[in-house]
Order: sequence, then structure tokens, then C-alpha cells
Amino acid sequence: MSSQTTFIGAVEIGTSKITVLVGEYTGRELAIIGRGECSSRGVIKGTVVDYKAASECTHSALEQAERDAGERIEVVFLGQTGGHLEGFYNEANVNVKASDNMIEPGDVRTVCDLAKGKELPVGRMVVHHIRRPFRVDGRLVPGNPEHLVGQSLAVGYWTVHGQEQRLADTIHVIRGFNLEVRELVLASLASGHMVTTAEERQHGVLVIDLGAGTTDFALYRDGAAHTTGVVSVGGVHLTNDLSIGLRLTEGQAEKLKLRFGRAAVQTKDRAHKVWLDGNFAIGDRQFSQQTIEQITAARTLELLAVVKKKLGTAFTPETCSAGVVLTGGTAKLPGITGVAAKVFGVPAHLGEAPTWVSENLRDPGYHTALGLLYYGVSAQAEKLAPARRGSGFIDGVKRLFVYS
Amino acid sequence: MNPENANAPLARSWRDIPQPVKPRAMSAGGRWRRVRRGVRLAALAALAIGLGWGVWFGVGALSAAPKHLPAVAQTVPVRHLDLKTPAGGVLDGAWLARTLALPRDATLLELDLERLRDRLLAEGQVASASLARQFPDRLIVRLTERVPVARVRVEFSGQPRDLLVAPDGFVFQGAGFDPAMLASLPWLSGLALIPEGAGFRPIPGMGRVAQLFADAQFSAQHLYQTWMSVSLARLAIDRQLEVTTKQGTTILFNATGDFFVQLATLDYLLEQVANTSAVRARIDLTVGRNVPVMLELPPPAGAAGDPPATAPAPSPSHPLFTLPARPAINPT
Repeated sequence: MSSQTTFIGAVEIGTSKITVLVGEYTGRELAIIGRGECSSRGVIKGTVVDYKAASECTHSALEQAERDAGERIEVVFLGQTGGHLEGFYNEANVNVKASDNMIEPGDVRTVCDLAKGKELPVGRMVVHHIRRPFRVDGRLVPGNPEHLVGQSLAVGYWTVHGQEQRLADTIHVIRGFNLEVRELVLASLASGHMVTTAEERQHGVLVIDLGAGTTDFALYRDGAAHTTGVVSVGGVHLTNDLSIGLRLTEGQAEKLKLRFGRAAVQTKDRAHKVWLDGNFAIGDRQFSQQTIEQITAARTLELLAVVKKKLGTAFTPETCSAGVVLTGGTAKLPGITGVAAKVFGVPAHLGEAPTWVSENLRDPGYHTALGLLYYGVSAQAEKLAPARRGSGFIDGVKRLFVYS
Repeated sequence: MNPENANAPLARSWRDIPQPVKPRAMSAGGRWRRVRRGVRLAALAALAIGLGWGVWFGVGALSAAPKHLPAVAQTVPVRHLDLKTPAGGVLDGAWLARTLALPRDATLLELDLERLRDRLLAEGQVASASLARQFPDRLIVRLTERVPVARVRVEFSGQPRDLLVAPDGFVFQGAGFDPAMLASLPWLSGLALIPEGAGFRPIPGMGRVAQLFADAQFSAQHLYQTWMSVSLARLAIDRQLEVTTKQGTTILFNATGDFFVQLATLDYLLEQVANTSAVRARIDLTVGRNVPVMLELPPPAGAAGDPPATAPAPSPSHPLFTLPARPAINPT
């Protein structure tokens, strides 16, 4: 084992389950060496509401992952979601200082500080500052504008911020295991980086991560995240609708959703019945499949419509030519791509992990955890292994993103 | 652009959330990790200290060692033996050369200093010894010597032989001492020397004997000069030292008592005895202030051919002399 090796834990504390992946990062390459999972308790809509229960589950998953990896996790990249997360866009513009109008590092630093300097309400904290491309005299500059010539330099930041107490609760769950949270990553950005390509992000793509308690979305334009958001509605609400509509327990409703739920009504015959358990035992009941589909379809349509509404003017079919990519556990609902395509007016498809991800990690439920490692290591590459950072880093990550 | 805005503070980030957590807020797994980390840090610290000490020790050893031995040092034989002894030492260079018996043409590097040191210490007169090479051709020997306080006569193969005794009970042959000084030393008697190696085991209780001699030499030199022998026969059992003077007077000292007091008493008593016609006496200083003194009177003038008469020995319960009472101490 190299002395440069860092063992990173990617932790996603979700509403239905907690996922931990252990990555071995050598400065150039990242390999997944361990996995831990645990059913979630004490977490509602991505927010910790019962510290003790959430801690027990998370620590259990961490221990399981460490046992699987045979190594101790050193730092954690933590996924962050929840309805408390919000975002806003702030742009700044400075006149270029030099007499020859050549942009200097000081100009770039000043415009960036100004764009990020907007104050937040009391009790709010920044989670991400996502920079959009620079503009020199209104002209889009994808890269670094230094040494370009122009009268004015402008840049905008999409700032994601969350409630301090909620963020602290999540971090303290990890600290309770005596681990340091090195990076906090928005769940939508993590999964977005996993299921989209750089080309798709350049052309514009909307990633919707349909989780159990929340739906995270990230809109990419010009190769970078343009807008992000969280809707506190997820697969659990579909279950809840079925439970109320058909007068079932949550467990029974969940079972029906998984077996017969659809994002669009497909069954024409209202008289077509399905059994709850199918074992014809006492308590086994029949339900109209069309009714089940109507309930799940209505909620799915509403959910996607809410996402579109939250995106507002940021989303237009013209600026999202790569379409919509759906991921997360609820994205496995049959017919959901069709509904998404209808709602957003662009093609939609289910997100898939890159081909270099091993088979047992290709389930949509792992996209966020994988993305945490992928995104977190990219962001932290300099801090984690400054001596070995090389140009082939991303390729190395892709090559070794294989869990055995 | 407003200059004030250029220095606008950035909004608070999630990184501003303090991450330290008290151990009681941790789960069992977290506490275990904390303990492991502490142990690991302690082990690393111990390792670092050990390495540091090793480096320090190594550097010290290297700096103490000669960096570049002159080539001549490996070929030049030892030419000088320097003996350094504290003041009062009697051993000389000739004795040293005879004792070390260095091979001819031996170089400093060929010498086994440990073995030479053992050879010196085998001479009982040497209490401690250290040897050092001084290149190219000088061997420096530092010694501390034992000083004799008494003599003892032993028999080797039917021949009597006089040995010396140091204050620590060490018995040695002795070399280089002034014969007059040796002749003034009292003899030891009433003891059994136990052979050990090439010599004898140290005499137990010799420390009190040496203390008695030292006190006597310091406070009553005229008495000490008359002492001929000291018997240790009753030292182990009764804690008594029996001194016999050249005049035949026997004095019993309490080995656990204050010798200065006993010597003062003895001095007083001997003055009293001198006023009598006794030829010799036996003075017992071990029983406290009532000192039994037995006098041996000369034979009557008319009985010159008769066997020597001994004065009727008084019972120890009837001392002949009682010390005068101590003057009262006036508190004012």
C-alpha cells in the first residue's frame, strides 16, 4: 500500500436506505474496494429527524463497508439533499483594470469574489458555489479569461445554500463515527456527473434523481451545472397515495407499487384485478390495476410538473437538447420516461452508469454514492494527493471504477 | 465598481460548521476508532522518540569515536603508559607495567581494554580502573586505590603471610605502601577468612572496625598507637570489638555505640589505671557508664619465684571505677 493512498468513504444518507462506498485513491487512480448498506431510520425527506436512529444506521453501514474493504475509512464525502436546500443566481461585472484591457488574475479574482459575496439570510450556509462561464464584453468564454482583452468581465454563480442546523445534523452523524467530512456534495450533482457525459452537459441536459423522500434535479448547460433544486416529494409519496387511496398499510402499498405501479395508465380494462399478495390467503385482496396505475401516474405526473415549475425559465427545450435523464430508485417505475418526455417536451431516458462501472454497482440506487466519489475526488484531487495529480486523472478514475 | 464591494466577505460555508465531537456523543464504533487513533498516535510518538534517541545516540557514538585513525596508529606500538591516581596513591608506573604485562610491540588497536581492566581489578588494591587509548601510542590508566586500615596474617602452604585489609573488608596483598605505616596498623584476629576466587571474601563488619580506628586516630592518637590487635570474634554475636594493646591491656568496645564517647571514657580510665600499680587491665566499655575494670597486679616482692598472682577479680557487678556524674546543665 502506498503512503499516498487515501481511503475515502462516500456516504449517502437517504430516506429509504443508507449507502456507503469505500474508495481507495492513490493520487492517480480510484478503486472501489468496499460497500455497505443499511435500511434508513430517523431520516425523513433527506433530513435527519432522529439523530440516534440515523446514527445507528449510518454507523452500521460504515462498519459494514469497512469490513468489506478491509481498511479504515479516513475521510468522508457526504451526499446532501433535503427540502431545505435552495439556490439562487448572482452575477457580477467588473471593468478590466489594465490600460491595455488585458484581463489579469486580479480581475478574475475580484469578479468571482463579488459574484459569490451575496449575503445569505440568517441561519443559511453555502453548500456549493457553481460557477457559470465567464463573459468578456458579453462574449461567452468557456475557460479561463486571463490574458484575453476586453472592457468588462462578468461571471455568475449558482449558489446552493441550506439550513445550518440541518447541515450540521448530517455532519454530526458522521462525526459520531469519528470521521471527518471532507466534502459535502449535492446529491443531484453527484448523480448527475455519473449518468451524463461531458458532451451531454455541454449541449444541455436535465438530470432528475427520483429518490424515496426527495427528488433532486440538476440542469446542465454549457458544460456546467446551471440550476439545481430539490423537491420534497419522492417514491414514498406514491406509496402513501396508494395506502390512502386503497386503504392499505404502507408495507402493502409499497408491495403493490413495486409490482403494479406505473408512471402512466396502460391498463384499459377497469375490471382487470390484481391480488395484493397472490397467495389467496385470508386477508389477500383484489384491486383494480387501472386504479393503481391511475394513482401512481397522477403523482408521478405531478412530481415532474413540480420539477418543471421549479426550473422556471431556466429550462427550455431548446437549451436542453440532450434531453432528460432519470435516475434514482423511483426512476425504475415503468413508463416514467414517457411521462418525463411529455412533461418537458424533450427526449427522456433512464440514466445508466458508465460501462466501466462493475455490474453489481450499476443499479440506479448507487449512482449518487458513485458520483460522490467521482465528484468529490475531482474537487479534492489537489488536497488529497498534490504530488501525484496528473493529467490522466479522470481516465484513471474511469479505468479503475470497478468494484470487485 | 464600488471598492467596498471588492472586499465583501464571502457568505458562510458549510465548512464553518465545527466538526469536533465529544466522545460521549459518539457511537461505540466511533469511540473505538478514537481509541485506535489515540493508540496509533501514541505508538507513532514512541517510535519517533525512539528514532530520535537512536539518532542522538548514534551521533554521539560517532562523534566520540575517532573519525580518521591515523594509519600510523595501527602500526606504532604502545610507548607510553600514563598512570593517573588520586592524591595519596602509592602505585607507580613500574607496578602498572608489571601488572598489565603488555606484549612487546603491541599497538593500541590490538589491546583488549576490558581484559586489561580485569587484570588490574584482580589486584585487590585497585578499587576501580578505567583505560583509554590516546593515539598514536599512549595508554592512559586511571585508578582508585584501596587504603589499608589493618593487617591480617594468613597461612599459605604452611608459610605465614601478611595481608592488608581495606575499610570495605577487602583483603589484598598491597604494594608500594610505606613499611613504617604498615607496621603501625593493628592486626585483626578472631575471624575466619573464606577463600573466594584467587583471594578471600570481604570481611563482614569491617566498616565498624575502620570507623573505630578512624575515630581513635582522630581523637586519641596516643591510645591508637598502643593498639596491637583487634579481635572480631565477638563482633557478630555480641557486637563487641576486643582491642589488645601492646602492654597487654584488653579493651572491649561496643561496636554499635558511639566510639568517641567510649574513647573518652577509655582515656579517663587509663589515666586512673596508671595511678595504680597494675601491670595490665581489662576494661569493658560495652555496659554503659558503669565500666568494669579488672586489674592485674604485679606479684608481691617476696614471691618472685611463685606463679604470678592475679588480683582477685572483682565481680562485674562491683566496678572498681565509676565515671563522675555529668555536670548539670543550667537551662539559663
